[in-house]
Amino acid sequence: MPRAIRGVLVKVDPSIKAIIVNIDAENHAFIIEDLDEDHLVIKENMVSVLKGRIDEILAAVLTVSNPNGAESDSDY
Amino acid sequence: MSDPSLASFEYLEKLPGTTFNKLYEQPSTALAIFRRMLPHLAKTFVMTLLYMSKPLPLADLDEWVEPNSQRERGDALSTLSRLHIVAITAPSRDNPQHVSLLPNFRKSLRYALTGGGNHHSFGVPSQDSDPDVTIEALDEYATSQWEGILHYLVHSVGGGRASGKLSESVTTLLTSGDLVRRPGSGPGAHGITKSGFSFLLQEVNAQVWTLLLLFIENSELLGMNSVEVLSFLFMLGSLELGQAYTTTTLTESQLHTLNQLVDFGLVYIPESTPTLFFPTRLSTTLTSDATALRSVGAGFDAAIASRGGESQGFIIIETNYRMYAYTSSPLQIAVLALFTKLYIRYPNLVAGKITQKSIGEAIRHGITADQVIAYLNTHAHPQLHKTPAALAGGPVLPPTVVDQIKLWQLETERMETIPGFLFKDFQDFKEYNDCSKYADEIGVLQWKSDGKRTFFVTRHEQLRDFIKSRKAREAAK
Repeated sequence: MPRAIRGVLVKVDPSIKAIIVNIDAENHAFIIEDLDEDHLVIKENMVSVLKGRIDEILAAVLTVSNPNGAESDSDY
Repeated sequence: MSDPSLASFEYLEKLPGTTFNKLYEQPSTALAIFRRMLPHLAKTFVMTLLYMSKPLPLADLDEWVEPNSQRERGDALSTLSRLHIVAITAPSRDNPQHVSLLPNFRKSLRYALTGGGNHHSFGVPSQDSDPDVTIEALDEYATSQWEGILHYLVHSVGGGRASGKLSESVTTLLTSGDLVRRPGSGPGAHGITKSGFSFLLQEVNAQVWTLLLLFIENSELLGMNSVEVLSFLFMLGSLELGQAYTTTTLTESQLHTLNQLVDFGLVYIPESTPTLFFPTRLSTTLTSDATALRSVGAGFDAAIASRGGESQGFIIIETNYRMYAYTSSPLQIAVLALFTKLYIRYPNLVAGKITQKSIGEAIRHGITADQVIAYLNTHAHPQLHKTPAALAGGPVLPPTVVDQIKLWQLETERMETIPGFLFKDFQDFKEYNDCSKYADEIGVLQWKSDGKRTFFVTRHEQLRDFIKSRKAREAAK
């Protein structure tokens, strides 16, 4: 008999997936099943926690990513 | 879902079957659900089943559907059973599956279509009327009440300066629905919330439903009967604009609801005759289909234009991301400020620029790029419609700006999440293959891997039944 597991399917870039796997490696609180290089199933109640953690890590890594240069506030 | 107002109906789908049974005792509810929530194929099924005396074998139903439309068939049947409109008997070895309408729904829909019965479910029109209450007056009343609510939300962005004329119950409702936070209710909690932002950018009809669902949830806490409240709302949707209705046949919960709806601008009660109520355009279009929805907008435009306000389009976007909006309405300026960086404000014009930062800010507040683009599109200045590209049937907004807004969203939104169920541990490849094919046919399959014999679906009820009936068939062989 097949099994059904409740969870949330997450579609991400491989780079972000690597970050998620890293976070999960600490205490395995997030991932239910690692599907393929851009799909994961994670626990339903942990989605917002995970999003917060990823944003934190990305904010620390990507310090300046503004292709427009400094916000052109002065052009008025 | 593509239609934002349909999303509100997800609330209904979560209700238990007993609630549906009580709801369907009212013909107006049955009709409203039939008109508003069912896909076309499901409507056809319902109409065919309506006057059948015996349950229909499921196999006969399948013969009406073209073989390559199995997905639509599955979709229609699953919607019907989720809304507790049809019952499908459990499959067994000697009895093939049968499908039939549930008795309450069948009876009510028959009443709704042919008349008869003594149910007051479509409101009781009153003989007396009030000559002062014209359709124009009702439109104006509805617009001013509704804009009052929107103004309250928008002003809470600028630091909680409430317009004051809103009643206490409405502000409490907005707060409890987490659309605004009262200043001082927590550290950093101040002003409008994420859901409030996306509320502002929705269509009027979707906004009305959002607020009504909040009200229903709240009324349960106050000990009111949510079934009565819901069926009252569905009744409102079937009333006629400009006609007076009597309040004497309403129950206590419904009277309480009525008073609340006056604050929203959905109904109007003249002070001289408190036993009469007039539905406004906001309520008569609650359960109509998409074409009528547009006429809500048209009705409001007419109301605004007659008061000498601005015409529909007022925003000009240039390819260099500069934005000029010919408006003096604080409501519109506040909405624009949600996703543009405004520089200059003249008496009839604001100028600003769409930047990565301003869009990023909006996305962090829960507004999507599509909402922003749709807003800009609907309010584009007539001048933008005259560009050579737009005249040739092309896009109204500069494509560079539209693409860039979407790209900026992709940069912040790196994860797509879909709640659902993972199926695994199948006995053999054949079982896996049958199940995943079925899941694809009924349109719930999101991801699958043949190698791992694993797949992910958004709903599992139908699939569970399928697996069971498949098991039964295997055992029979």
